[in-house]
Amino acid sequence: MTERASTDAGAADGDRAARRLKARYAAERRFRALGLAAIACSVAALLFLLVTMIGNGMSGFRRTELRVPVDFARAGLRVEPARLGAIDALPALRQAGLSQVLGQAAAASLGPDGAAELDPDAWREVARAIIADPGLLQRRVVLSLPASDNLAAAQRGDGQRRLRPLATRLAAQGKLVRAWDPGFLTRADSTHAQSVGIWGALKGSLLTMAVTMALAFPIGVLAAVYLEEYAPRNRWTDLIEVSISNLAAVPSIIFGLLGLALFVGLFPSWRSAPLIGGMTLALMTMPVIVISARAAIGAVPPSARDAALAIGASRIQVVFHHVLPLAMPGIMTGTIIGMARALGETAPLLMIGMRAFVATPPAGLTAPASVLPVQIFLWSDEIDRGFVERTSATIIVLLLFLLAMNGLAIHLRNRFEKRL
Amino acid sequence: MSPVIPLLLVLGLATVGWLVARARARIFRRARPGGRLDSRPQYHAWFVALCAGLPAGLFALAWSAFSPGLVVMRVLQAPAAAALPAEGILRDAILAEAGALATRHATGAFHPLARTLVPAFEQAIAHYAQVGLAVTLLLGFATGTWAFLRLRPDFRARTQVERMIMAALLLASLAAILTTFGIFASLLAETWRFFRFVPPGDFLFGNHWSPDPMADVGPVATDSYGALPLFWGTFAIGVVIAMLVAIPLGLMSAIHLTQYASPALRRWVKPMLEMLAGVPTVVYGYFAALTVAPAVRRLGEALGLANPSSESALAAGLVMGIMIIPFVSSMADDAIAAVPAEMRDGSLALGATRFETIHRVLIPAALPGIVAGIMLAISRAIGETMIVVMAAGATARLTANPFESMTTVTFQIVAMLTGEGSFDHPATLSAFALGMVLFLVTLALNFVALRVVLRFRQAYD
Repeated sequence: MTERASTDAGAADGDRAARRLKARYAAERRFRALGLAAIACSVAALLFLLVTMIGNGMSGFRRTELRVPVDFARAGLRVEPARLGAIDALPALRQAGLSQVLGQAAAASLGPDGAAELDPDAWREVARAIIADPGLLQRRVVLSLPASDNLAAAQRGDGQRRLRPLATRLAAQGKLVRAWDPGFLTRADSTHAQSVGIWGALKGSLLTMAVTMALAFPIGVLAAVYLEEYAPRNRWTDLIEVSISNLAAVPSIIFGLLGLALFVGLFPSWRSAPLIGGMTLALMTMPVIVISARAAIGAVPPSARDAALAIGASRIQVVFHHVLPLAMPGIMTGTIIGMARALGETAPLLMIGMRAFVATPPAGLTAPASVLPVQIFLWSDEIDRGFVERTSATIIVLLLFLLAMNGLAIHLRNRFEKRL
Repeated sequence: MSPVIPLLLVLGLATVGWLVARARARIFRRARPGGRLDSRPQYHAWFVALCAGLPAGLFALAWSAFSPGLVVMRVLQAPAAAALPAEGILRDAILAEAGALATRHATGAFHPLARTLVPAFEQAIAHYAQVGLAVTLLLGFATGTWAFLRLRPDFRARTQVERMIMAALLLASLAAILTTFGIFASLLAETWRFFRFVPPGDFLFGNHWSPDPMADVGPVATDSYGALPLFWGTFAIGVVIAMLVAIPLGLMSAIHLTQYASPALRRWVKPMLEMLAGVPTVVYGYFAALTVAPAVRRLGEALGLANPSSESALAAGLVMGIMIIPFVSSMADDAIAAVPAEMRDGSLALGATRFETIHRVLIPAALPGIVAGIMLAISRAIGETMIVVMAAGATARLTANPFESMTTVTFQIVAMLTGEGSFDHPATLSAFALGMVLFLVTLALNFVALRVVLRFRQAYD
């Protein structure tokens, strides 16, 4: 009797245990699926972002152009060849009536309504082409000139209704085409989506990065060497370490406020210049470089130091002849990652005034400039559909730069890990 | 004024010093019976080169930064400057044009007065360029000669050079403290000026925010500087919405990647998460404004909201959450990896499933690290600027509806400082007060989080 009861109870227990085990395994599977779903969500977000940008941006490398035949030999454009070499060649060509010549040629070929839809800045491109090749003035050429944003919209099938017949007519004649626009990479900002370019912003970014690199890299590496190799353990060193780790996590906009109050306050005439921008970003990048450089220096095996010390090297010689060369790939990895962050940074540069409309590429470190991320921000405010494409195209260029930098960093890291 | 030519000359001077000093040291070595110096000739050379180059180079840089001011002062004393208008924007513009003309950076000027000033500018620039060049060269020559005269066969050149290097190292490491101090001092100074217009109590606890940067400075409407709606907006977007996205996704991704995923999956997913972290914030902002905000608006319409705004807290918060995912996941990854393997193995050996091990053992053990990571993530979210500037809207309101637009501290800092307002206006100064609040809050979060991470690491070491 008791025996049977116990087997019953045992069977019931086993049953319950089996059920519980099933529930536990179900929970396990649910949890696992949940984790996979989380990863899928994150990756999907990334892919969605990239696909949106690429989808919008690929057409941003094209533009709507009007094909206009111009006979410069008969147009009578009088410019002395010597002036074409001077820095005021652009105004000289304008004075000589370049835009009128273009207007007449466009009216002859496209009709007056077509000529009215030429981008008002089109003459600048022709002027640059003439400066690059003065022989153009003796020839008859078919120029590809940017159409107005309204005509470009009409060709896409939206925008003003009255322009659509014109767009259809010109397109049928082969005079209005959507063509690859290599000039997008060589021009600067403009008010019309068909004639903008990013070279101005790209050059500004490169100049700014050069300043950042020149300041943040030596200071960051030297600080890391001091803290890792020489610093005595005391209150000062602790304070330095705490402030470095905090600076690495301070919001970037705070560095912008510092740059505004300090650098722009000291040098008001360099407002929105790459020099000030680079200095501000250097403050932000320096802690990142210090932290990664310290890790790289710390990873150098002590035996390298001991061996150098044992054959009579001084402590400075140990570090500069042996430790630093060994740690350099690791330091470069951290530096490139820090520079990539600085390249994508917008907020601090807005603070120091790098948001002006700059229609020419910056001439030097102290000339007003724009940078790629700020250019994206400025164009994102434009309503015109053409600017949406141009903005996404700029984002693609920026992402390609960042991808290249990060790829280089990963490559260096892999080599570094193999060697140590 | 470009410092390139003086710097090149200084470089030349230092090179000459280097060569001469090395020759001198070699002569010492030949004259000595044992043929040994205290330091090798290179160190003598570097000692002289550094002594000749450093002070002169620093002077050349400083001169190029400050001589434009001197040039303008000299131009203002010229007779042609008598016709200039009184101090103000117009005068500054004319001076800037004349300067650009004189340095050949421009070819035309709007103001006829600018042309008359060009000769004075050219003369002043040439004058100060000559003065600067002369002082630079004299300084370099003097310090270089002094260093050269100190060379002796028993001169400890290496010690001297290494002492200079040590000084450079120390200076470099002080840069971090100086930056922290600079941030604190500049924010404090401007915040102090702001609090002379608006009492701190009204600023921190007032619930109406509508500064007008164009209004007269005079008596300030202190009741339009209540920052509470901004704090609320920052909290709602950066802490509530963004974390609702980032914590589950980031944490679950990290757990799955460390505990379940096959090496192949990890090899693919990890770089993708790193890419998510590497996308610039302005790209996220554009994505939020272009794609997510309209979708959220349509969602609001589908839910039957009267007229959902095109800029919403939800859109900004969602995208910000996506941006924070890799941050949370890498912090959680580190925290879980720091838990000793014995704890995990013990739990598994007792027959617990992997879910139970994670749920009952790993997560409780890693909790301090995870919480610290979340605090760092929050500090990054509330300091994030571009996403909210492009997608969150400008209206300051205390609302719990995520479909409405809210504004944040960072948005208002940008809005107040990118207008045309003057630097003495309370609206401009309020940006610094907001920056101060942001700095202190993120500092506190970072400080506590770093402490927790440190203690946590020690506990398991």
